[in-house]
Amino acid sequence: MMSASTEAAQEKGSPDFVVAHHFDKADTQFDAGRLGIWLFLVTEILFFGGLFCAFFIYRGWYFDSFVEAHHHLDKKMGALNTVFLITSSLTMALGVRSAQRSARKETVGFLLATVLLACAFLVVKYFEYTHKIHDGLLPGAMFHAQGFTTQHPGVFYAIYFVMTGIHGLHVVIGIGLILWILIRAQKGEFSSRYYAPVEGVGLYWHLVDLIWIYLFPLLYLVG
Amino acid sequence: MSHAESHDSHHSHGPDHVPHVTPLPVYLATFGTLCVLTVVTVGASYINLGTTVNLFIALIIATIKATVVALFFMHLKSDLRFHSVVFGSSVVFLIIFISFTMFDTNVRGQFEPQKRHRPAIMTDPFAAPSAPTATPSAAAAPAGSAPAGSQAPAHP
Repeated sequence: MMSASTEAAQEKGSPDFVVAHHFDKADTQFDAGRLGIWLFLVTEILFFGGLFCAFFIYRGWYFDSFVEAHHHLDKKMGALNTVFLITSSLTMALGVRSAQRSARKETVGFLLATVLLACAFLVVKYFEYTHKIHDGLLPGAMFHAQGFTTQHPGVFYAIYFVMTGIHGLHVVIGIGLILWILIRAQKGEFSSRYYAPVEGVGLYWHLVDLIWIYLFPLLYLVG
Repeated sequence: MSHAESHDSHHSHGPDHVPHVTPLPVYLATFGTLCVLTVVTVGASYINLGTTVNLFIALIIATIKATVVALFFMHLKSDLRFHSVVFGSSVVFLIIFISFTMFDTNVRGQFEPQKRHRPAIMTDPFAAPSAPTATPSAAAAPAGSAPAGSQAPAHP
């Protein structure tokens, strides 16, 4: 019985995978891990929630400045980045699906595509940032742009830089995490029996996409 | 586990985990929906319906997109219901957090001018504002330099 199941495990992949002794079966272990990731995502949502709250407070106070300042953001750049992120979410979801089906090469391919799309997002962000820094739109004392008709355009850009900056940091961390599971996938660690890290990183990546789904219209479209 | 609450039939396959593999068309349809809604939200931003209406249109579209991502890409539709509850609870508290802050910050400074012209009468708070009698006393109160807060409620 024991040797038969070990043999089956070798056949199916993830040879090093074990169910920890305090779990009654693999499903329980999977669900415990998923719950942990979801709880982490909740803290992320509340963390970004503070920033969204700041956005709405200052939007209420300096409404005219927000409307004027947001017209200086490039909608096309934002839309392009939205397309990059939702496409990367698709490739990530397909990467998880491939891992569930024990398709190693497919998994690696989809994860690589996700990393490349994330890099494309950062490249667009780089061009946006350099353009804005050149225009003197950095927050606080570094703000020296002229020609605004309203009093507080700097407040909008301060919130813009903080929110997109922290979101960008999440993208950078995401790239690192995806590369980590890409290498593990390449080693053949994941299969239909064990793909929890792929799924966990996937959930994180989808949350990064989900936050951008709100950032894009609020900052670029309506202001 | 043969409990009735098992969310998938694969629980009866033994100790090994058998994943719930979502069919490929579901992912592609989700992606298509997200692309279409991105075009819609960008398009809607060019139509000026007033900033508040535009904001709510953008937020509604974003929420539809977020729901689609959560249900299909993040597997909440086929996952344990409890994970949806966990996720939903964060959204509920986020709404409370932001909306209650708006109740404060968006109306700051709007109440004080009214209070000066028409001070509340604590013994009869629902009394009709009888302007001729209230105005002289309100005008006299600042001049009398706050006689122990007898008439108007004390300012901080």
